[in-house]
Amino acid sequence: MQFRDVELGDDLPEETPDVSMPTVTAFCEAAKHVFERFIDHEAARKEGFPSAIVPGIMSQGLLAAMIHRWAPGCTIREIDTVFRGALLVDSHVTMTGAVTDLNEDDLSVELDLAIIAEDGRTGVIGTAQVTFEQ
Amino acid sequence: MDKPDLNLAAIRDQWVGVEFDWTTFEMTAPNMVAWAVACGEMDPRFIDPTHADFQAHPGFTTHCMSGRVFPKDFPQIGGGFGVDGGKKVEVHAPIRAGDTLTATTTIADIFDKTGRSGTMIFIVQRMEFRNESGHLVSTVDWKMIKKAD
Repeated sequence: MQFRDVELGDDLPEETPDVSMPTVTAFCEAAKHVFERFIDHEAARKEGFPSAIVPGIMSQGLLAAMIHRWAPGCTIREIDTVFRGALLVDSHVTMTGAVTDLNEDDLSVELDLAIIAEDGRTGVIGTAQVTFEQ
Repeated sequence: MDKPDLNLAAIRDQWVGVEFDWTTFEMTAPNMVAWAVACGEMDPRFIDPTHADFQAHPGFTTHCMSGRVFPKDFPQIGGGFGVDGGKKVEVHAPIRAGDTLTATTTIADIFDKTGRSGTMIFIVQRMEFRNESGHLVSTVDWKMIKKAD
């Protein structure tokens, strides 16, 4: 994918990221973010969640990886995510993205991003600014 | 009864822009790789430490927490500790393995919004990360949301 291939309104391919317990646990260890609500379903229930939840900062990382797969070699200049609701560990979540603006001067695009929970709720929304190489 | 925005205006004037924490963080290749792999990253720039352009994933600095959440003597506004409303990351330059980053923390903004669930107060904590050369490499804005009453 190069800048000339991108059109306003393009959708990024939908993806279903791995939010299984082993992967979320690995993320939490890398992030030094090991809290029971992320890595233990029962402990999360005691805190009032339906089950363990995906860390918000991991959901942002999942979206960044999706952008890199869509446009290999691109550079994410900014990514802004709003955590609207819990995404559950070991559930089926869907990531989406769409091109909302293009700037030919600096070969950059703006994206709208979202992660939809298994029950249809929108768990995360966001935007990103991405630049392409010449 | 005072309107929350009247109080917030004074608090904003006093606290926005105040620096209140300075912390250093070591960037290590194993943690950088583990983070990116767990996020499903496949680009070798982020998962292969031998790659010529190996660097941290864009949001890697979001896990770096300042020593304090609020400045000393910051007023109690809103209820409870608050919830994580989201993060914005600006990537200014690549972060390399072995970098020692110095983060400066400020209160970047304070505002409120009113919706169906009432008035919510947003407190934006900003961390700016600089490498050993003093170059700004990353800015993270953390939006903390608290109920107004």
